[in-house]
Amino acid sequence: MNSSTALVRIHELTKTFGATRAVRSVSLSFTEGEIIGLVGENGAGKSTLAKMIAGVYTADSGRIEFAGSEVSFRSPFEALRTGVAMMAQEIMLVPDATVIENVFLGSTPRRGIAPNKSKMRSDFKELLELTKFELDPKAVVSRLRLADQQKVEILRSLSRNAKLIIMDEPSASLTADEVARLHATIRELARRGVTILLISHFLEEVLELTTTTIVMRDGEVVKAGPTKDETIDSLVSGMVGRSLETRYFDNDSAATQQVRFSVDGLTNSALHDISFEIHQGEILGLAGLIGAGRTEIARAIFGADALDSGTVTLEGKKLSVTSPRDAIKQGIYMIPENRKEEGLILEASISENMMLSTLKRYRKAGSLSTRKLGKRAVELAGEVDLRYSKITQSALSLSGGNQQKILFGRAVEVAPKVLIVDEPTRGVDIAAKRAIHETLLDLAKSGMSILFISSEIEEVLGVCDRVLVIHQGKVQVQFTAPFNQKQVVAAFFGQTSGAKHD
Amino acid sequence: MIEKLRSYGIVGVFGLLFVVLAISSPSFLSWQNAANILDQSSILFIMATVLTLCIIAGIFDLSVAATATASAIMTVNAINAFGMVIGIIVGLGFGGVLGLLNGLGIVGTNVNSFIGTLATSFAFRGLGLILCSGGLVSITNKDTAVAMRSAFEGKFLGIKGAVYIALIFSAIVGIFLSRTIWGRNVYAVGGNPQAAYLAGIRTNRILISCYVLSGIGAGIAGVIYVGRYGSGATNAYSDTIAFTAIAAPVVGGVSVFGGSGAIWRGILGILTFALIGNGLNLLGVDTTYQLTALGLLIFAAVAADQVFRRSRG
Repeated sequence: MNSSTALVRIHELTKTFGATRAVRSVSLSFTEGEIIGLVGENGAGKSTLAKMIAGVYTADSGRIEFAGSEVSFRSPFEALRTGVAMMAQEIMLVPDATVIENVFLGSTPRRGIAPNKSKMRSDFKELLELTKFELDPKAVVSRLRLADQQKVEILRSLSRNAKLIIMDEPSASLTADEVARLHATIRELARRGVTILLISHFLEEVLELTTTTIVMRDGEVVKAGPTKDETIDSLVSGMVGRSLETRYFDNDSAATQQVRFSVDGLTNSALHDISFEIHQGEILGLAGLIGAGRTEIARAIFGADALDSGTVTLEGKKLSVTSPRDAIKQGIYMIPENRKEEGLILEASISENMMLSTLKRYRKAGSLSTRKLGKRAVELAGEVDLRYSKITQSALSLSGGNQQKILFGRAVEVAPKVLIVDEPTRGVDIAAKRAIHETLLDLAKSGMSILFISSEIEEVLGVCDRVLVIHQGKVQVQFTAPFNQKQVVAAFFGQTSGAKHD
Repeated sequence: MIEKLRSYGIVGVFGLLFVVLAISSPSFLSWQNAANILDQSSILFIMATVLTLCIIAGIFDLSVAATATASAIMTVNAINAFGMVIGIIVGLGFGGVLGLLNGLGIVGTNVNSFIGTLATSFAFRGLGLILCSGGLVSITNKDTAVAMRSAFEGKFLGIKGAVYIALIFSAIVGIFLSRTIWGRNVYAVGGNPQAAYLAGIRTNRILISCYVLSGIGAGIAGVIYVGRYGSGATNAYSDTIAFTAIAAPVVGGVSVFGGSGAIWRGILGILTFALIGNGLNLLGVDTTYQLTALGLLIFAAVAADQVFRRSRG
């Protein structure tokens, strides 16, 4: 990387939030057409660094050079005008507008005061040819799949002639085939000289896709070099500062022979004739593509979605569940897919969040005993390895992993017979993930029957006793440990040849 | 820092206002003036209390003034038919029933509460008109009217009965909100209805209970009106009162996004409004400026709320 080809040079960038030094004196340079992977645990400073480059945050100190001249973006708009585009973790599109309107939003070609529609159409066509994307310009964005929405963002970046595109966790919500398409796009963009900065939790993705890898820890760059010199282990040890076991293939099963819970013929608009059973102490995994119907199964069992037909049986007794409240009363609990939107009251304290379902247990002379509440919360926090400073601090002030642990604390508190856990490790760092896995195994050991949903195949196979692959709202196939990862993944796409049907 | 400013900034503003007025106007600190401020604010205390509750629960109730008006008329009718005690109970109950109608209708159909209660406020005003078949009904029995007046307007320690009723009501709602399971569930539903529902909280019941309490509060306001004037009228309470009562908690530091805040903040908001009005009056400032100052204060409070939201990212 000599100075003549460096597109971006960063000199000692620093950013502080309150008492936290999010990014400490980071210096880097990116070459034209390079694909750079940026990895690190949550809170390592990746997003903050990216947002400074993209003009979302202003650095406290340090300099950024873009194409040889010093820049100081005061807004994402200025960055975009200069050639730096960022795709944030949350898609930033106008949901009710069409694809083409979104692509040219803020830079609409005009004819007088009216948009120049023919120019928009021809420009759009050029962009499609460039990227080989297939997108209907007239489609309404909110109806598109996530992967297609990302394409709209990419097209928008390209329509402004972005030379550097920053992608923050672009594949986190994509299905495997969508990820493959995104990767092809990234490679094509790089071939055309666009520099891509990719922030990702998927280390395989980084190893496969990028040319350079940057590892951050505690706001500092701990290493930056050619990706070909790295392995998953070396990246992980860089991220955590020590070598850490990342997976659990040696899971001691706590499953008994006794069937505790079963569902038979669950059917609604998203599900077709779903039947399975879970033993006492067993962890049953639901694997499959996003949109396959796994979350819908969970919500239907928990009474959050209605069923057209089918029965749910717990310990030999047929249940009638029409609301989550019913389900909880009868011994079923669910940790929902989306901790912030569906799980937590972000403004409320850790203790109240943990006791949200069981406040009644802490009644004393008609009013709530906050002392008892706090005491129990501290116990629960210990059980789920929650890292906090004060039990009365808000859920908002915790990291994603610790927020998730609050929900596990609540599940321990409710003590259901059947626990449904939907994507508990999405977006959490490796240490928190490990703690969550341990909690799951502990709960199973205590005799709980667990239905575990995850899009991360290694995790499902590492933790579960049995795995059902869900495909298009149906149970495609069942696997029992030890698993063959290739067979399981093949089943995601409806391929079940060679798999055992039991 | 911003969070602290948003939370306690209004306490500072209130304190500053108080000190400035105390220094610049000798009559401000008199017991008489304090009693005046409280007397003028009693209705607003009640309405701000129920609206603080609603906003914490994530809803609005624009119909409080209309409900209070209809309740006042109903109270007079019931007093004329059944006597004072039953009349008061019917008046309060009527407010509660209108609140229940609000709750069942709005929660059942999932209509936006702002628009839903805007609609019912028209309907309730119409109902009031029907109930008094004209503009005004009066208590026919003179003794009852006098008894009502002495109950609500009579003074104890220099302060009118209505003020005690208002403050007791606010205190009860405040204590229930902060100390009971129902109260914590209100915060949960206001903070994240989806999460509350999935945690097994009967979110619909919680919301309906807030509408009902709002209606009962309006019913109390209606009864106080009858006590004060011995009559009920279709123009008893204007909707401006409802808007003021919505603005008060926001000025007091309650987030319009729901899920946080406390009843005392609504009361503090009303007291701040009262200080501005009363103080500027004592200082001889034109009413026009008072309204402008009030408007700017409300805007500043909402802006602070929004800035806080953004800063937490």
